[in-house]
Formats: sequence, structure tokens, C-alpha cells
Amino acid sequence: MRGLLVQLQVVHALLLREVKTRFGAHKMGYLWALIEPILWVATFAAMYVLLGRLNPPGIDPVPFLITGILPFVLFRETAARTLTAIEANKGLLFYPQVRPLDLVLARAILELATHLVVITLLLGGVALWDGKLPHGQPLLLLAGLVLASGLGTSLGLVFCGLSTFSNTVERIFSPLLRPLFWTSAVFFPSSSLPTAARDLLLYNPVLHVVELVRSGYSAGYDARHVNAWYPAVWVIALLFFGLSLERVARRRVQLS
Amino acid sequence: MITLENVTKAYPTHKGLNVVLDRVSFQFPARRNIGVLGRNGAGKSTLLRLISGAEQPDAGEVVRGGHVSWPIGFSGGFNGSLTGEENCRFVARIYGVDVDEVVGFSMEFSELGDYFQMPVRTYSSGMRARLAFGLSMAIDFDVYLVDEVTAVGDARFQQKCRAAFAERRDRSSVIIVSHSLGTIKSYCDSCAVLDNGRLFYFDSVGDAARVYQA
Repeated sequence: MRGLLVQLQVVHALLLREVKTRFGAHKMGYLWALIEPILWVATFAAMYVLLGRLNPPGIDPVPFLITGILPFVLFRETAARTLTAIEANKGLLFYPQVRPLDLVLARAILELATHLVVITLLLGGVALWDGKLPHGQPLLLLAGLVLASGLGTSLGLVFCGLSTFSNTVERIFSPLLRPLFWTSAVFFPSSSLPTAARDLLLYNPVLHVVELVRSGYSAGYDARHVNAWYPAVWVIALLFFGLSLERVARRRVQLS
Repeated sequence: MITLENVTKAYPTHKGLNVVLDRVSFQFPARRNIGVLGRNGAGKSTLLRLISGAEQPDAGEVVRGGHVSWPIGFSGGFNGSLTGEENCRFVARIYGVDVDEVVGFSMEFSELGDYFQMPVRTYSSGMRARLAFGLSMAIDFDVYLVDEVTAVGDARFQQKCRAAFAERRDRSSVIIVSHSLGTIKSYCDSCAVLDNGRLFYFDSVGDAARVYQA
């Protein structure tokens, strides 16, 4: 048995190191983490202005886009970065106290922390601009983001395990995630959908997470079709599968 | 003190299973510098990783008493995009020792000069090995595991390594794996030979050499 303390030490050291490798040596790296989602939001906002049709009920258009895009990007980035966590840091498994799971954990924590800062800055900026604070439930918003991170981590873990069996897995990963962007209520409210379409899209756990974040931001937002349990069950199921895979795959992760 | 209890380790290659250790039970005597000789591909590096705990045996158990290092050598363990200093910081943190002390010692011992502040990917293999050595000497281990030191730097640097080990003789010991008899002779008191999944121990390096060369 190795102590929890050692694991905390390892994850902490990995985190500090990931900050350097993720954002690079230059300060611009941090700025990019902020600029990228702003560009997304601006693009969609411009599109909606041109089409003249964005009018989500119970929430302002710009926060609507921010609370849609940020949770989705958090989910996708976490999955993409945890997927390659072990491959990219294989050399560190040289140190006996560093376990594959620590590598995954460190990356997941860094993504969550980064996106928490970004969404706080963006929503804070909107509040300053509007001169008013929204009536919402910050804890629900936070829970939604944590679930988005959980979904990304557990999915990344599953793919990470599968990728030790075949390297086509990494190649199908991003085409597999692409449809999710269009079906996760990132730029439409789920309440605006026809019933048949909505019932279908409600199978997608990311949609639940996005809508949870929104209803956490604005109490007036209609999110009665979604709940936190559904994505939570997905997280648990994927984690279970991913951790079992890690057990099997551990032997296959050779130090070359 | 390190004990192998009925340890089995094999890994798949395209020519079938390569059995590195086949139900090996062995106690590495404490306070002795021990060499392990083996031909290329005999599984010397795997043996070191098993001893360090970076890899788990397929069956059996490895019991470690005291603070055992990671396998020190010129491959692996460093992130190429980080500088030598950043890598040292990382290792100091995961071992829970004073970061500045470790950085200071490693910088001085490894004699990398300005390269210490450069990404490790710009290093030659000799420079990597020097960094690895300096770094491992900065942390107090009871047992140092060393993988193929023959390629470490020039004769003067090797002399420095020997001196560093000699200086901490009464506190720590070394286990060195190598295919070169010369290396083992200059560092070790006794020697084992790894061959075909078995480990044969000899009290003197000379006896081991006779078997190894036969």
C-alpha cells in the first residue's frame, strides 16, 4: 500500500509540470486558453445576429452561448487530453510512485481548473458589462461543470485503455465526438426542440450537463427535461469500464 | 535489503514470450555493491524496474527494505520539453524532498553549465545520463539502482561517480546491471549473472566473470 500522501505529492508535482507543458513557457499560453472560447462565443453570436434568431427564453443570448460552449469545450478537452495522458508521459512511469492513473488525474484536474477560471472570467465580464448579477444557483452551475469534467475524464480513460489494444482508437476519437457538438444543446435550448427530437437527444449525457450549467446560471431558464443523475450514472459506468480496462492494459503499457 | 520471492516475469515479443525471471528467489545482501551481468536482451533493465517497483512481477513478490531509487540510466525519466532544472524540480517533489537543495546539487554535480536551463531534448545521451546521475545523488537513497553506466560521460565524470558512491558507502549500496565486465569490476564487491530466466550469485566478481565468459 502506498500512502495517500505520496499520491497527493505525485499529482501535485504532475500538475505543476502539466501547467508548463500545457501552456508553454510563454505567458501567451494562458491568454490562448481565454481567447479560444471567446472566439467561439463571438462567432456564434455573430451568426445569430446575422440570422436574427437567437432569443433563448429565460437567459440572455451571450451568457447562453458561454454556458453552452464552455461546458462542452471542458468535456471535449478533458477527454482529448486524458486520452493521451499516459502515452505522452510514459517516461515518468520510470518513477515507481507515479502510476498511470495519476497522469490521467493530473490532466483532468488542470482542464477543470483552467475552464473554471475561464468561465468565471467570461461570465464575470458579462455581469460587469450588464451591470447586474444573474439570479441563479452557483452550486448547480459548478455541479454541471464537474459533471462535464467527469464525463470527459471517464470517456478519456476508456479510450486510453482501448488505445493500448489498437491505435485506430485514437483516430476515430475526434470524428466520434464531432456529432456531440451538434446534439448537446450548445447553441439551442433543449426546450425549443420538437418532442420526438428532444426525446432522442436526451440520451446524450453532455446535453444534460450543458443545460444544468445554464439553469445554474439563470434561475428562469427552462431545464425541466434534464437532470444531474443521468450524466452521473454515465460517469460511474464509464469510470468502472475505464478502470477495469486500465487493470488489463497496465501490463501492456511497456516502458519500451 | 531487497528480496525476490518466487518472482516470475515474462513479456511478449514477436518471437513469443521472453521469460526474464523464472520463479527466482534471491536476497540481495545488504551493504554490498552488487553487479548483475547479462547479455543484451537477457532482461537486465526489466529486473531493475522490478526491483524499483516501476513494474510489477507476473507472479511472486519483491520486498524492499529502505529507500530504493528509480533505475538510473540514460534513457527515460525526463520530459524533453522541460529544462534540466524543471525536471529536477519534478523529481524532488515526487520524492518529497527539498526542491532547491536538489536543484542546487544536481546542477553542480552534472556540470551541464548553461544546458541546465535548456530543454532536455537538446541534450546528448551523455548529458542526459549526467543529469540523471547528479539528480539521483541529490536524493539520499539506501540503494541506488544503476542501468549501464558505461556510457556516462568521460573518464573524469566516471571517476566522479565512483567517488560519490565510495563516499556514501557506509550509508548506501548500489545494484548495477551491465553487459560489460569492466563496469562491474570497478564498482562492485560481488556479482550475479542473469541468464535464461535464472539468477546465479557469486561472492566475487572474478567467479562470476568466469561463468559469464564461458
